[in-house]
Amino acid sequence: MTLTIVKNATCTFCGCVCDDIELHADGVRIVETKRACSLGESWFKNHTAEHLYPDALIDGHPATVDDAVEAAADYLLNADMPLVYGMSNITCEAQREAVSLAELIGGVIDSHTSL
Amino acid sequence: MIYWGGNPAECHPRHFTKYSLMQKGKFTPNGRKDRTMVLVDIRETPSAKAADLFLQIRPGKDFEMLSALRAIVKGQRVNEETVAETGLTVAQLQDLAAQMKAARFGIIFFGMGLSMTRGKHMNSAQILMLAAEMNAFTKFVAMPMRGHGNVTGADVVMRYTTGYPFGVNLCRGYPRFNPGEFSTVDLLVRGDNDACLVLGADPGATMPQPAIDHLARIPTITLDPKVTHTSRLSRVHITTAVTGISAPGTAYRMDEIPLPLRPALKSPYPTDEEVVRRIRQAVARRPAWLPGRNGKAAI
Repeated sequence: MTLTIVKNATCTFCGCVCDDIELHADGVRIVETKRACSLGESWFKNHTAEHLYPDALIDGHPATVDDAVEAAADYLLNADMPLVYGMSNITCEAQREAVSLAELIGGVIDSHTSL
Repeated sequence: MIYWGGNPAECHPRHFTKYSLMQKGKFTPNGRKDRTMVLVDIRETPSAKAADLFLQIRPGKDFEMLSALRAIVKGQRVNEETVAETGLTVAQLQDLAAQMKAARFGIIFFGMGLSMTRGKHMNSAQILMLAAEMNAFTKFVAMPMRGHGNVTGADVVMRYTTGYPFGVNLCRGYPRFNPGEFSTVDLLVRGDNDACLVLGADPGATMPQPAIDHLARIPTITLDPKVTHTSRLSRVHITTAVTGISAPGTAYRMDEIPLPLRPALKSPYPTDEEVVRRIRQAVARRPAWLPGRNGKAAI
């Protein structure tokens, strides 16, 4: 199988965000990580494009994403003081959406910075 | 260059070579030889090998040492016995202050050894004050050593949308900021929240037990590429694509440089961005939340 080569890939494992990594991927997994450190290498190699987990879980049972989104919206809207937390391993675009959601549900929004 | 309460040799392996210590610059043509590196920590980590000066302080004495250092920098008298409690001598601090003043451009990188131990936010405030006050003598800055990939991005995005970098309370419809009151661990340990949306984090594995217990009591919703400890105590879990590996977007480096992500794989799962947008749209379709609707007073 031919390998896809991504030059100047960005590693988001730690806060250094090295953007000079060369990745060789076979479509399902990354097989080579040039210039990545030991932490970056395990980060890239430990995540695959396989369907290993259910799309969504509600009360521990597999569910569709549509149902899970509706359930999440109900819980968040019905709460008086919901908390949106994390945001450190998601993109800036997703973070903007999260801030917008937090404003809509009237909640607290916080990241790992506060730890 | 001062590293305080961090271990970059093991936690940020390329920090020395790619960004801080070894790189050659316009005013540092010889790279490492033109720099002085000081490490302040409670134990001799592998990073100490890279340092010119290693200062071992007693655990939990960061605030005291920073206070003494700030006083020495400003030429004030300090009590020798108080300084001795930090594990260092006044002479060592005077030497450090002199070296800091002699630098043309100083930087303090502070890690979680400072910001997560006794004193917490006050330690961070103290080290930022030290860096600010050093500017009376020379150029000096301070930068936190960020653990997670895009935690800097979270700061930046929250800053330009709400005006504050983290721990922002939007309950009253306008942003309020108060670390210690609206920061996650404090909120959860006190049991203030009645729902939680966790985005790409695993508080179920990392937070203090009372906070985890509270997450299990309230409806928790987790978005993560894997089924984590937090997912197991959540009412709702949604699997998402991995940021930077199978999800495109932007991430901020710890010095606040935005970088594009170039994913190498195509995920069978939706991205965090898409799922959060869909939750927001689903909330927007419902009647608006009103304070006191459940018979409770507005928070």
